[in-house]
Amino acid sequence: MLRVKAGDVDRMGLLFERYHRKLFGFLYHMLGQAEASEDLVQTVFYRMLKYRHTYTGEGEFRTWMYHLARNVLADHVKKNRHSVRHTDVAEWSEKIGGGAGADEKLQREQEVATLHRALAHLSEDYREVLVLSRFQELKYEEIARVLNTTEGAVKVRVHRAMNELKTIYLRIEN
Amino acid sequence: MNCEHAKEQLLDYLNHELPEAERPLVAAHLEECTECREELLALQRVWGTMSAIPVPEPSENVRPAFYAMLSAYKEETQAKPSSWAAVWQWLQAVFTPQQALRLAYSLALVGVGVAVGFWLNKQPAQTADNQQLATLTKQVADMRQVMLLSLIDNPSATERLRAVSYTKELNNANPRVVEALLSTLNHDENVNVRLATLEALAQLAHEPAVRQGLVQSLAKQESPLVQSALADVMVQLQEKRSVKPLRRLLNDPALNEAVRGKIKESIQSLSNGQAAPSTSNKPYDETFHPTPSDGAAGTAV
Repeated sequence: MLRVKAGDVDRMGLLFERYHRKLFGFLYHMLGQAEASEDLVQTVFYRMLKYRHTYTGEGEFRTWMYHLARNVLADHVKKNRHSVRHTDVAEWSEKIGGGAGADEKLQREQEVATLHRALAHLSEDYREVLVLSRFQELKYEEIARVLNTTEGAVKVRVHRAMNELKTIYLRIEN
Repeated sequence: MNCEHAKEQLLDYLNHELPEAERPLVAAHLEECTECREELLALQRVWGTMSAIPVPEPSENVRPAFYAMLSAYKEETQAKPSSWAAVWQWLQAVFTPQQALRLAYSLALVGVGVAVGFWLNKQPAQTADNQQLATLTKQVADMRQVMLLSLIDNPSATERLRAVSYTKELNNANPRVVEALLSTLNHDENVNVRLATLEALAQLAHEPAVRQGLVQSLAKQESPLVQSALADVMVQLQEKRSVKPLRRLLNDPALNEAVRGKIKESIQSLSNGQAAPSTSNKPYDETFHPTPSDGAAGTAV
């Protein structure tokens, strides 16, 4: 990224290849809409180019990336406040939920679907830390830098988010 | 390590966020505590299942879109577009749906700004204009009244007619104007002027002073034309107080025969305003030789 900052814009391709999947995953978990997430991936990379002078080189590139992604997300949510969220999840879990067989594989799929729905019901703050920690595999310390907070605060939030997720999960399951 | 403390550490244990030194402590506690082991299993189930949540692959459009954006960005920031092709490419890049949306959004914002500006600008100006217009209208009205007062004593009948005509545009006349008009109606030597004045006063009849003056004027008129016109106005206004002076006029032997008929008609229609139609005809013959009681009955009915 430092080389991109120095003007070697072509290097951005490398960063794209390396990170765009992860970034898409993050946006998808936060938004629940694949198509919109793809658009936002584009926006995040565009902002990286445009604001590359703000990258200090301190800390990892991906911390900065998630930081930008959060801003893009916030803008997107502001713009689309009235649109229905998590449509994809709903459709997807409906398809799974239709089967009545007690097949073990199916049961497992049901479990995953239920958890997916529970995750979608989680508040934004909680979902964010869980996604960053579990799916993006960021350390608490990195999450703290993305969110501009302390490691302790992240730890507390992850714990609470997990408890909340379990509660919602059990509620949906029953 | 007690259970409470261990439970707090379980997630971090699972998450590999626990400092190396503490891992064995938690592991040791788990060895001997079934409850915590179950808790860990439950946690692990959720934590593990989370990784099974499918994330769709980004579609094939993402990659070309990114590279198009990248090259467009390069064109945009590096050398100025040197050929039409570059301009075209740049345009294409600028008008990706998202950029177009942004552009439209900005334009809409500017539009709203301009509209609000116009609106804010117009608002006070309009009220100022209206106020000015109102004061001007009032001034013109005042001017007309002054003109009327100064012209109404003019020796020329034409000028006096003009003076009276000024009242046509007045909705409210001040007492001086009413007084001047009434005095013209009663004392002007020219019949035409008196008729015009009567017409003007009829328009102002919503004012009690005007009505009163018109009723009183009945006794003072000698011209048959003005008499019959006044009788008409009385009928039009349904002014009951005029019945008495009208009857008095009938007593005048010098009264024009045509006017006499007219006045009889007027009295009839004024009485009809309240009296039953069937009885209205008969009392008439008697009222022509009125007695005080009859007159009272006529007005009371």
